[in-house]
Amino acid sequence: MLSRVAENIYWMARYLERTESTARLVRSYNHLIMDIPLGSEPPWTVLVDILNAREEFNSVFRRESEKNVHLLLASRPTSTCSIPYAINRVRENLRVTRDVLPDDTWEKVNQLHLFSLDHAESVASRRNRLLFLEQVIDHCQSIVGLIEGAVQRDHAYRFMRVGQLIERADMTARVVDVGAGDILDREGAFGSIDPLLWGALLESLSGTTAYRRQVGPIIEKDSFVDFVFKTDDFPRSIYFCLSEIRRELNHLPVAGPTLTQIDSTRRRLRRFSSQKRERTKLHRFIDGLLQSFIELDEQLQAHWFKKRPRD
Amino acid sequence: MQRHHGAAERAVKQMGISFAVYSEAGNIDRAWPFDIIPRLIAHAEWQQVSLGLAQRTKALNRFINDVYNGQQIFKAGIVPEKLVVDSPNYRPECENVVPKHGAWAHICGTDLVRDHHGRFLVLEDNLRVPSGVSYMIENRELSKRVVPELFANHSVLPVDDYAGQLYKTLVSISPSDRKRPCIVVLTPGIFNSAYFEHAYLAKEMGAELVEGSDLYVGDDDMVYMNTVEGVVRVDVIYRRLNEEFLDPEVFRKDSTLGVPGLMRAWKKGNVGIANAPGAGVADDKAIYAFVPDMIRFYLKEEPLLQSVKTHLCRNAKELAYVQDNIEKLVIKPVNESGGYGLLVGPHSTAAERNRFSKLIQEHPENYIGQPTLSLSTVPTLIGGAIAPRHLDLRPFTLCGADTWVTAGGLTRVALKEGSLVVNSSQGGGSKDTWVVETRP
Repeated sequence: MLSRVAENIYWMARYLERTESTARLVRSYNHLIMDIPLGSEPPWTVLVDILNAREEFNSVFRRESEKNVHLLLASRPTSTCSIPYAINRVRENLRVTRDVLPDDTWEKVNQLHLFSLDHAESVASRRNRLLFLEQVIDHCQSIVGLIEGAVQRDHAYRFMRVGQLIERADMTARVVDVGAGDILDREGAFGSIDPLLWGALLESLSGTTAYRRQVGPIIEKDSFVDFVFKTDDFPRSIYFCLSEIRRELNHLPVAGPTLTQIDSTRRRLRRFSSQKRERTKLHRFIDGLLQSFIELDEQLQAHWFKKRPRD
Repeated sequence: MQRHHGAAERAVKQMGISFAVYSEAGNIDRAWPFDIIPRLIAHAEWQQVSLGLAQRTKALNRFINDVYNGQQIFKAGIVPEKLVVDSPNYRPECENVVPKHGAWAHICGTDLVRDHHGRFLVLEDNLRVPSGVSYMIENRELSKRVVPELFANHSVLPVDDYAGQLYKTLVSISPSDRKRPCIVVLTPGIFNSAYFEHAYLAKEMGAELVEGSDLYVGDDDMVYMNTVEGVVRVDVIYRRLNEEFLDPEVFRKDSTLGVPGLMRAWKKGNVGIANAPGAGVADDKAIYAFVPDMIRFYLKEEPLLQSVKTHLCRNAKELAYVQDNIEKLVIKPVNESGGYGLLVGPHSTAAERNRFSKLIQEHPENYIGQPTLSLSTVPTLIGGAIAPRHLDLRPFTLCGADTWVTAGGLTRVALKEGSLVVNSSQGGGSKDTWVVETRP
């Protein structure tokens, strides 16, 4: 398989996952805000911070309003953190690798693209916004389902899977970071809504059912963090994602150094315990995780996507 | 009929058959304009035509090989040397190279028309990067989907063996004796008008679809491609890139689409390139006039296919004739393809004729004149009714260790009433072409 094609496939999968997880995150946060008594809700810009888009937001908007936050994240195809931007990237990366995936994939991605063109403007009202997010999530899941059911388990599939998992782990880490205080609870002002907050975050990772079955019905910070970091059988936990990435990369040549790096991150996770960490220390741990995902991406670039002498 | 036409349009969208038009910024993919009424050719007639095509392609390959090695045809006084070596299509870089089997133009797309006698005439030979073959195959797929009943009454020769034959041809020019040589399709990329076809052929042959940046030439003058499993040696490149972009070390220095050092590797015989660089020398409307003489010279045979009478403006006598009869002739620039920059005398305005007349006088060597043919028409579905439209036919001839001709080819039809221009980039459509076995 060509290095260039592998790289395109990888980014296609990353952006597809990013589309879905962004939609999921925005949706959960909307649900959360509706549960909180008027006057004590946390600011909408939390979403902007989770997605690391503060600079972009400030360059476009002056007021930190509900409407502006959603315009940035759901309507502006030129903002790199937005849903339409991610959909465009899925399409562009797939366009040049169409011959590798089943024909229906292109058709479905095209539908998603057309849908976002038609509806992304409608997100100012809450009702339309939730409908829009719901549909985006549906589209993404049907594309993932199609790929899972029809793609040969070769290198193309592996890079797709790795892209999906890195993106997923990255989003999980960011979501936990909201609760890590540095973003949200700087002055302890939202202490009273803690359980609601953790519940909404868990929902954004579609982990509520799994959590209840494994841990119990009450969602608290420590057990929540441990659950989404360390569970080895929950598909959006960071540990699970890393183990799956490891399994896929194991089929590739010269994977040694990358596997070692993944193993060291997994060890750090196993030793981690939320109880022993204050919110600020948790934040520092998460920073370390995000850094290790960046390094993982660099490893992929160096070993499998690299261009030969001519560049 | 209209219902079938609607079904065809939906099928085109679903199958994602598209081509790109350069000037239409933004909307780069256009759906393929398909007419559901097939065009029929009798099998017995086609057998004669395909013999003629094979003969012609053989002679053209002998000519290209001769031009770069020995130049017997100049010495025999059959083709003027100046006409060939002054042409921008002549590549001195290719002198003294003999590709495997002496084959240069491995894939040849020949444009045929029927004149008022019903004979097939050769209009031009496309020896550089002829395109359209994937549409020939897709058109058949469309017909089978949309008008399956029609097949019940006819015995139609299949067309979908093309990719297999192309693969065989490419294997036959591989420099290595590996059982499954590494074959790649080199595309200029997604923005090329024929990208759909490049991807299609790569997929059908199970070959990698590569861009120039995926390949490099090593210090050993071998061609390699970058894959996730490390570098892999490439044996044959089916290039869909014009040769001036192939190798920035030799041709256009600013080309980022090509592969530096590719010509070095090819000249050393380390990689097969189809079509070979330099093959375009025989794909020149001025050379066209000499093809019947080439057939007689190299093969000692009489040409089986007729050509259109061609006046070379470079000869003073013929220039005078062209100038005097411009309103009756079709004037073509010698180095253009795609139907751009030509003048159809009987359909032109006085202003257009004056402009061309001046152009010809300034650069006579750049133009040829041909009589305007009264081309055949076929029934075509236009706005819900059936109307006659002009058409041509592009069969494809493959030439490696063996020679092979498609059954029929791509039929292109001018959708504008009276128009003779069939190119899809200029509003032409296409039809499925049926070579049918006639009952005795």
